[in-house]
Amino acid sequence: MRSKILIRNLYKIYNEKKENEFFALKNINLNIKCGEIVIIKGISGSGKSTLLSLIGALSKPSSGDILVNEQNIAKLPDIFSSQYRNEEVGFIFQSFNLVDGLSVYDNVKAPLVLSNINQDELKKKINLALEVANIAHKSQQMVSNLSGGEKQRCAIARALVNSPSLILADEPTANLDKNNSLIFVDILKKFKQLNKTVVVATHDTIFDNLAFVDTYVNIEDGAII
Amino acid sequence: MINKNFVDFSILLLLKDKKEYLFSFFIFTFIVFLASSILFISDSIKHDLFIALDKQHQIIVKNTKSGRYTPLSEEHIDSILQISGVDNVKGKVDGYYYFAQDRRYFHIVVDESLDEHSMIISSEIKSILAKFKYTTQFNFLTQDGITSLDIKKVIKSNIISNDVILVNEDIARKILNMDEDEYSYLDVLVPNNSEIDFISLKIVDLYPDIKVKTKNDLKSDYEYVFYYKGGIFMILYIVSMISFFILLKNQISSVFGEKKREIAIFRSIGFAIKDIIFLKFIQNSVVALCSYFLGVFLAYIFVFIFGAPLLKNIFLGHDASHIIFTPIVDVKTLFVMFIFTVIPFLASILLPAWKIAVEDMSEVIK
Ligand SMILES: Nc1ncnc2c1ncn2[C@@H]1O[C@H](COP(=O)(O)OP(=O)(O)O)[C@@H](O)[C@H]1O
Ligand SMILES: [Mg+2]
Repeated sequence: MRSKILIRNLYKIYNEKKENEFFALKNINLNIKCGEIVIIKGISGSGKSTLLSLIGALSKPSSGDILVNEQNIAKLPDIFSSQYRNEEVGFIFQSFNLVDGLSVYDNVKAPLVLSNINQDELKKKINLALEVANIAHKSQQMVSNLSGGEKQRCAIARALVNSPSLILADEPTANLDKNNSLIFVDILKKFKQLNKTVVVATHDTIFDNLAFVDTYVNIEDGAII
Repeated sequence: MINKNFVDFSILLLLKDKKEYLFSFFIFTFIVFLASSILFISDSIKHDLFIALDKQHQIIVKNTKSGRYTPLSEEHIDSILQISGVDNVKGKVDGYYYFAQDRRYFHIVVDESLDEHSMIISSEIKSILAKFKYTTQFNFLTQDGITSLDIKKVIKSNIISNDVILVNEDIARKILNMDEDEYSYLDVLVPNNSEIDFISLKIVDLYPDIKVKTKNDLKSDYEYVFYYKGGIFMILYIVSMISFFILLKNQISSVFGEKKREIAIFRSIGFAIKDIIFLKFIQNSVVALCSYFLGVFLAYIFVFIFGAPLLKNIFLGHDASHIIFTPIVDVKTLFVMFIFTVIPFLASILLPAWKIAVEDMSEVIK
């Protein structure tokens, strides 16, 4: 499975029809092909996270369509949009969003518990993801004891564990030092080899002028420029 | 279909947060413990009362004069025997002896198997007599001097037998100062239950001063005693209710704050609203079931093995220290209690969990 994304006339309005109404996204049109790496650039507050959360079905647009493999995820009921997030999307968040109090292994397991697969397959998938994200050696550690870079690799393993075709990363290097940021750029390359479609929202210049990136999109005040 | 991976994961999260659940667990156990203890005690008392009642005949006849009870005679027995439908009439000797030293009444009951020198007493009475150094015998003060009886046996105190002294019929008359042909009450045997009310009326027709009580009347008298105790029940229920609200508040707040973010994380990796609710349902069912059974178990031990100290006195007054509760477990009421405690407990967590789950997940993106 590979993902292509077609975004048409997309609007996101916060506090719609209230005094503090705010147009976070204005008439976004975007075409992302299968296996493409797309970097969305823009200053803080320009609307990058909002766009990612719409593509990932974390929230609903005010109007417009988001077609992922011809399916309009803007109009899915909760059960199906949850299934979409679970099976087709892998998220990598700025603040990692790991579940404190659980081990690396159990965090990576979380997306799999919704499907009724047997224990062997479960273990195989988790170990593979830990391997790819280069965090297998810490699998029994509590996530609260990890360094920033390790937390992110745990989050990457969790994003990959269900073999999604689409990876969404929001400010992936914001909480990392230079060295770990470069490691993430390498991981992006790995995603490219694995033929994943990847959308990264960032204002970090480390992503500028990368040869393997297919598209750079600049966003300002909620509009593509 | 229940997914084992999901259930395992829910339990894993429960164990991770066990500290937060511990408070709910203890309060809920306490409520169930208190409610079951009340239930066990009242069921046990009722049981003993009704067992005693079952031994009686269908109609109890007492005589009154100016509103006070007075003895009945052989003449009463003979004329009631004449009423058709009456199989047998037994004259009973029964009454109260005032023990002035301790300002207490002893209930004198006849036991034909005893001889003129002995008596059977309850463990409560035994302890009262012992206070006044009567350990092997007791001297009753009667009309013609002192009647001395040996303690032959001590029986367990229950709600009926607590203040009872069993003696031979002649001795009972002596202690209660009754003549040879006098009786405290008559026990009327009516084989056909449907005739009881009719025969009761006939007896009252014969003697207007006579008070007739059927078994059903007695039953409702006993129930009445329980309603009188209702005030105490109210207090205990209020205590339970207050604890319950503390519990609910704790339950609800356990879904907000840190947990709110956790729910958003699970939503972001693909948990649907129904999955979040099911997750919370599994966790809280485990907590509720464990504390329910622990509470009932502890109540059983507390009431039937330790005799419910403190609570017993609330129910039966300060003379109750020797009363033993017959172990009675009414599964039906336990089940009703289960419904009335476990369901609000679950609802208290599921509703807020649902409310959080339907919110959008933008929090995770910050
Ligand atoms: N839930 C919300 N309610 C109101 N305004 C919001 C909300 N989320 C984001 N915004 C606003 O929308 C704009 C875009 O936010 P965001 O997408 O987070 O930007 P970026 O990720 O590019 O920094 C910002 O001005 C922000 O204040
Ligand atoms: Mg952002």
